Amino acid sequence: MNENSKARATALTLSIIHKIALFLAMTIICLPGLWIVLASFRPTVEIMAKPPVWVPQDLSFDAYVAMFSGVGQGGIPVIEYFRNSLIISVTSTVIALAIGMAGGYAFARFRFRAKSAIFLGLMLTRTVPGIALSLPLFFVYSRLGIIDTHFGLIMAYVALNVPFTIWLIDGFFRQVPKDLAEAAQIDGCTRWQAFWQVEFPLAGPGIASSGIFAFLTSWNEFALASQLTRSVNSKTLPVGLLDYTAEFTIDWRGMCALAVVMIIPALVLTFIVQKHLVSGLTSGAVKG
Amino acid sequence: MATVSLEKLVKRYGSLEVVHGIDLEVADREFIALVGPSGCGKSTTLRMIAGLEQISGGDLRIGGKVVNDLPPRARNLAMVFQSYALYPHMTVRENMGFSLKIAGMKPEEVAPRVDEAAATLDLTHLLDRRPSQLSGGQRQRVAMGRAIVRDPDVFLFDEPLSNLDAKLRTQMRVEIKKLHAKVQSTVIYVTHDQVEAMTLADRIVIMRDGYIEQVGTPEEVFRRPNSKFVAGFIGSPPMNLKDAEVTDGMLVFANGDRLPLPEKFRDRVSSGQKVTFGLRPDDLYPVGHGIHSGSEADVHKQDLRVLLTEPLGNETLVFSELGGAEWVARMLNPRPLGTGEVLAFCFDLAQAHLFDRESGRSLRGSHGKD
Amino acid sequence: MKGWRPPAPFILLLPAIVVLAAVVIVPLVLSLYSSFTAFRLTQPASLYTLIGFRNYQRILTDIEFWAAFGRTVLLLTIALNLEMLLGLGLAMLVEKATSGQRLLRTIMMFPMMFSPILVGFQFKFMFNDNIGLVNNTLQSLGLSSQAIPWLIDGTLAFIAILVAEIWSSTSVFAILILAGLLAMPKEPIEAARVDGCTPWQTFRYVTWPFIMPFAYIAMTIRSLDVARAYDIVKIMTDGGPAKRTELLWTLISRTAYADARMGVANAMAYVAILLSIVFTAYFFRKLSAARTQIAAEW
Repeated sequence: MNENSKARATALTLSIIHKIALFLAMTIICLPGLWIVLASFRPTVEIMAKPPVWVPQDLSFDAYVAMFSGVGQGGIPVIEYFRNSLIISVTSTVIALAIGMAGGYAFARFRFRAKSAIFLGLMLTRTVPGIALSLPLFFVYSRLGIIDTHFGLIMAYVALNVPFTIWLIDGFFRQVPKDLAEAAQIDGCTRWQAFWQVEFPLAGPGIASSGIFAFLTSWNEFALASQLTRSVNSKTLPVGLLDYTAEFTIDWRGMCALAVVMIIPALVLTFIVQKHLVSGLTSGAVKG
Repeated sequence: MATVSLEKLVKRYGSLEVVHGIDLEVADREFIALVGPSGCGKSTTLRMIAGLEQISGGDLRIGGKVVNDLPPRARNLAMVFQSYALYPHMTVRENMGFSLKIAGMKPEEVAPRVDEAAATLDLTHLLDRRPSQLSGGQRQRVAMGRAIVRDPDVFLFDEPLSNLDAKLRTQMRVEIKKLHAKVQSTVIYVTHDQVEAMTLADRIVIMRDGYIEQVGTPEEVFRRPNSKFVAGFIGSPPMNLKDAEVTDGMLVFANGDRLPLPEKFRDRVSSGQKVTFGLRPDDLYPVGHGIHSGSEADVHKQDLRVLLTEPLGNETLVFSELGGAEWVARMLNPRPLGTGEVLAFCFDLAQAHLFDRESGRSLRGSHGKD
Repeated sequence: MKGWRPPAPFILLLPAIVVLAAVVIVPLVLSLYSSFTAFRLTQPASLYTLIGFRNYQRILTDIEFWAAFGRTVLLLTIALNLEMLLGLGLAMLVEKATSGQRLLRTIMMFPMMFSPILVGFQFKFMFNDNIGLVNNTLQSLGLSSQAIPWLIDGTLAFIAILVAEIWSSTSVFAILILAGLLAMPKEPIEAARVDGCTPWQTFRYVTWPFIMPFAYIAMTIRSLDVARAYDIVKIMTDGGPAKRTELLWTLISRTAYADARMGVANAMAYVAILLSIVFTAYFFRKLSAARTQIAAEW
């Protein structure tokens, strides 16, 4: 009896510790982001106040209004940056998906010589640090005259995303049993029809998540963009963020507001993909 | 109207040859079963017929036309997969109508055919479900429904019952047989289960290591196996196969035990020849507990000690020892037996088989005749 | 039937190979070449001045380079190990949670969506000695009487960068390890408990071997992208103060663009690329091994 109640007490203590640890971990994860969101609504005086003002007194959208009011008032052309980011990310994602689908399908469905070596080779191209790649790209792009253009950055991001997209899509196609495509062919489909009628719809959600992942990579990329863009023609948001620090003092509130603008699309998209992303990564890895 | 003929059909993966130039003629409306242990090439052969595997050599004709390089859709055949391969993103109705839709048929033409097939297979109430909401037996029926909707020339079955439990398997076996009686198509059925092959097929093709060992009706392959392999593969429990040497009209086993050489093989073997003697459990039984087929003269009687019994109700399998090996006998109208009991057994030598030990071929002489 | 047709996988892979060749391989060959020249951005003609291995000799004898190299390896080693450990802990905390697991999982993914540049900015803000949340909190709670110069002191800056790096990447590990925990069959754990294993033994001998491949996937994914620490450092300290947080990547960037010494920078870049490849190939091998082990045993 005594032993039982002791065990019960231990279990209770452990459960409380578990809850506290979980709470702390989640706080650490959320706090930095929330703090930035909060700061973006506060006036600069309050952010800079010494001693600190803990309870916000004066919340406003001023920073956002200022941000979107354009270059005229000495602001930063956020709208143009946003548009550049969007065009470049979406286009490069679509192209990377098309290429990645072809490649992923090849790895999932065909046997060929040196398959794993080719796979590793593709992955290794992804490991090249952006900054290291930016040196020759900068040089080549200047020669070709595509520096500071959408096209240049789109090409770079396609190459950046293709290896990982292939990895993910390979995993998703593997989850679709081969029998189904064969059954479709017996049912009168060409290989092409079998792909679009059966394999593609089944791998669809996974492919969509790979697309979102590629989009986020492009959306967030900095190392290449910082060297390959020069002006409002092609500068993306992450590079634009640096505009705020270029001046002598940092406009913390403005930066926070821009950060919020950057994070919102990413936030929404990540919520959509989370389930499929993990399954795509793990299926390819475990079932090999 | 579809005959299927395989002429010297070969499958190679790189330098590895897995099907070695097999020949087979399947008549129109015939039910053919391909059986053999796993890795014998039966599934590969089926997949070549389906058009899912490239043919490396030889010719494949369907309805007299060479189809070697035609894609599956140009062959007008239907296939039931081991995994059923139902499309998870479509309802049962869509699954069954898919091939017709692909063929460009209008929805109003598709519907009655799907309904008819569904009625045949008792699937009508499931038509709007998804495969994931069905039981194994129901999925199996949908897979068959998908096949019959097309009204194909040839049905292919790739181990369709192996994912079902024993009871359901027996039930589906009957349904497949009924289905064949109804649709009257040519059927090629792959299985590793000889019982399925025996009960369903008009003719059985026994394959081993990429070769065809024997082709024949269930009766033929059971009664007159051409080789030791077929003899051991067909029949349950399997035939007793024991190595022996022919000496002075007797079969002498390794430990010196003897049996008389069956009369019908007298002229076909010579003294000193190494052979394998085969006797089905049905042809070995305690005196008074079995039926012999030939004359009384062909029945040899011998006392054996009972090692173990497996009572099955209407019969009992009796395990005993002779020639240093274990023999299985089938006892009809059984009475309880004790382990260690010594019984007189009948060896119905008219039904015995003899194979050359080296080649495994039957010593019966020209095929077909005893 | 129609003459020679290239095999299907070749056609399917061709676009990927063409793009990667054009945007990655060819430029890298070019930069390999230029790493043997005295190329300076300001003097285009210098691209044709071959100087053999002199760039490599220079960087290999350069203390600044080795300091950055060592710092990079140190940062990666500490960060990857801590991320793995914390990720494992976080995954187990979430797995044990009885309710709201979906919400917890979503929150757990939160840092993944942050662009590294944002992470850098965010922590630069938090660690600001004057107005940062960290100092404000410490001072308000009376734990520290004066402002701690987080980004101004070399060692503290390194720690601040490490914190930012770990914050941003732990979730990759946590998510994948959690996927492993959730995919794991329950019977072996139950069997171990019945067999009298302590929780630690159960973890050590049953759970861990099963989730190891998942940890390696996370490692592989992470190592594909280790260089994104560049973004964080770039914005937090830009290698400062006085080059005390200079990493290989910030050094490359400075040498190439600020000093315009492209040849030398390319030589450094090759060392950085090699480092990344070694990391990735190592984990990829481990992953394959773990994968075959899992396939054989489960």
